[in-house]
Amino acid sequence: MRVHRNLQRLGALGLSLALGWWLWQGVTISPFQGITGPAARYIHGTARDTGAANVVAAILFDYRGFDTLGEASVIYTTVCGVALLFAKRRYRRSSHGLSFIVKRGMALLVPFILLYASSIIVMGHLSPGGGFQGGAVMATVTVLFCVIYGSSFEAARVSPKVKETIESSGALLFTAIGLIGLVTGGAFLTNSAAGFPRGMMGHLVSGGTIPLLNIAVGMKVGAGLSTLFYSMVKILEDPTESSPPEV
Amino acid sequence: MSTAFFTFLAAFLVVTALTASEAQDMLSAVIALSVFGVLMAIIFVILQAPDVALTQAIINSGLVTSLFLVAYSQTQKRGDDPDREDDR
Repeated sequence: MRVHRNLQRLGALGLSLALGWWLWQGVTISPFQGITGPAARYIHGTARDTGAANVVAAILFDYRGFDTLGEASVIYTTVCGVALLFAKRRYRRSSHGLSFIVKRGMALLVPFILLYASSIIVMGHLSPGGGFQGGAVMATVTVLFCVIYGSSFEAARVSPKVKETIESSGALLFTAIGLIGLVTGGAFLTNSAAGFPRGMMGHLVSGGTIPLLNIAVGMKVGAGLSTLFYSMVKILEDPTESSPPEV
Repeated sequence: MSTAFFTFLAAFLVVTALTASEAQDMLSAVIALSVFGVLMAIIFVILQAPDVALTQAIINSGLVTSLFLVAYSQTQKRGDDPDREDDR
């Protein structure tokens, strides 16, 4: 038994060392060795095909848009599963949150965090980021609300129904944009071939469907991850509890 | 980016990973995992993958940590992990 366990540990150590060596290679290779294969095609063709400055966003939402739809439905299924698992859960008492200073500081910070999240989503086709990252930042804001203001603060203002509606309409928006491509005679999720303007590269309105798909994914991920967190916390207002101290 | 800095990050990454997997206290493991996520995000930036770095920083350090903490606070603790009996 003990020998077996040690053997397992030795195997895990070997695997870790191999992966670590692989990661280490990333810092020693030169980035200018010449790019071949599909990478070269994407790098040279992105500006011409889509008009997006961010190659990663172009691949995610144009060349491989259908895969992104699948990825989004994975998140949707996860959120549904977690919400279903915790559906029967009784709520517990909500905390009053942290001190006055932390609450005021958070209140000053929230608009800037939301602005940052929106900029990540809206400029996803220009700079690193996109719908998934920006939506996750939005979800982080609701987590901060839960920590700092107590768990009933946000649940009392934004009902789970609203979040579910936002998430579902994000998925519907994504699919509807994809169907426009079908209507115009192209494939599902066709971008510029379906008549969406490519625009000037580097401008806010460019990249055809990519900004719209970014917004759809942002709605989905933000509402979805927030629902995930709150269905795990599952603390609604307790009617027997006294009102929290005034801030 | 200098190799020395990358070496420091990689070594610290190993330390946090070992702490996360071997710590007796569950809370220490969760916090070590969060630090691991931040270091991983820095390494992704050095390896010129800013998109992945953004995702890693937000998901691993923000959301996963908070989900682990919620799961920790809402589950019962019945002594130590029985899996570790033969180690001591």
